[in-house]
Amino acid sequence: MIEEIITSGRMNPEIDPVLHVWGWEIPFYLFLGGLSAGILIFSAYFTLRNRQDELPIAVKWMPIAVPFLIGIGLISLLLDLSHVFYAWQLFTNIRWESPMSWGAWTLLIITPLSIAWVAIWLEDIFPNWNWKFDEVKAVIKWLKEYRRTLAQLLILLSIILGMYTGILLSAFNARPFWNTSILGPLFLTSGLSASAALVSYFSKTEVEKRLFTRIDIILIGIELFMIIHLFMGHLAGTQVHIQAAEMFLGGTFTVSFWVFVVGLGLILPVILEILELKHKFIPAIVPVVLIVAGNLMLRFIVVNAGQASRWLY
Amino acid sequence: MKTKYMNPYLAGVLLGLVLLMAFFFSGRGLGASGAVKSVMVASVDVLAPEHTVNSPFYSKYIGEEKSPLKAWLVFEMIGVLVGGFLSGALSGRLKWKVEHFPGITANRRLIFAGMGGILFGFGSQLGRGCTSGSALTGMASLSVAGFVSMMAIFGTAFALAYFLRKNWI
Repeated sequence: MIEEIITSGRMNPEIDPVLHVWGWEIPFYLFLGGLSAGILIFSAYFTLRNRQDELPIAVKWMPIAVPFLIGIGLISLLLDLSHVFYAWQLFTNIRWESPMSWGAWTLLIITPLSIAWVAIWLEDIFPNWNWKFDEVKAVIKWLKEYRRTLAQLLILLSIILGMYTGILLSAFNARPFWNTSILGPLFLTSGLSASAALVSYFSKTEVEKRLFTRIDIILIGIELFMIIHLFMGHLAGTQVHIQAAEMFLGGTFTVSFWVFVVGLGLILPVILEILELKHKFIPAIVPVVLIVAGNLMLRFIVVNAGQASRWLY
Repeated sequence: MKTKYMNPYLAGVLLGLVLLMAFFFSGRGLGASGAVKSVMVASVDVLAPEHTVNSPFYSKYIGEEKSPLKAWLVFEMIGVLVGGFLSGALSGRLKWKVEHFPGITANRRLIFAGMGGILFGFGSQLGRGCTSGSALTGMASLSVAGFVSMMAIFGTAFALAYFLRKNWI
């Protein structure tokens, strides 16, 4: 039996168990959102750099997955809602101070834009593609004229999407572990790193593979730096933040975080990728699976740890 | 011909240093069969939780708030797998193949290795440890049982090698 003396009154999952509500849906959605953002950023960025023919997988092929990833993510978000049929009310107003509102509107805009982005590349990758209707052909032609503008918009919106998945958590003042502004950049970087790993796995040319392996190594380096700063920030904070960090420094999440997320999900794959660049033979699937699994686990651990961390004892 | 493997004498010395570092950093020696046991106990506990509670062998490792997987040896074994993979990558040995004496088939090699593994699993549980956990770590801490294990394991191997020699010469 776990005995706990409660002196706080309310706002405590032992009294209001409804506070402890996020299951797999939210972290899974955060993962898919980050991944979509990463894929779109690379695709749009290398389009702006005019490297679409040199890097076909990153620019033209990977975005095909994005509408599906966002779709699955949105379904899992809806599964989490208690009142699914009130979800439309998010779109009845804009609240600048609410990350939820930012996310809802960004998703509303980025989903059709990502479909348009896929559409303008389809004729490139499938030479026999036929849009059949003249109206559709006219729209695609118009979109292609504005390809660069679309790319710039996508980069902006994807950065917001990738960041907001973290900011959504860090705006939650009542959960000390989440209450750090580094979660936004951390989730953005890890989404970028997972998509870079996927691009390098699927790419057919040596140029693309090596470029994205190098990008991924740099991104993982940044991610490790941010993780260290996440804990430095918490440890330099108030007592509740220190307690939140201690869940990872000897507490419940120590092993799952440091062994599986940092060890097997970041450090080992970065070593493998460096060996790959040095022309050692590594089965290509291994680093990708490790990175994607570590990415997913990072979201789950951060979401669970946040719910376990609290202000009042 | 350049061998893809490290010199065994050098590797032996390095293994000793690894053991020393394990003592220094974790306060525990090396082991292998214990991790396999933990994984097996955990699997049986998932499949037949009643059996683990009633069995005198399994029930020792299962309890409230106690997971058999939360053990030093399990994480050491994860490290062994990672290290083995990295060392294979460094020396260009990452290939999907069964290494065996050309005179026998790959299947025969796998069957005999599997049988040997099963026998060794029983032996390590009866003898309270395997080559690394009992013999290597035991001898490093000058335990008599460690020396006995070492002699028993390698003595039996030498004694029985004659009967199975066709598998490798």
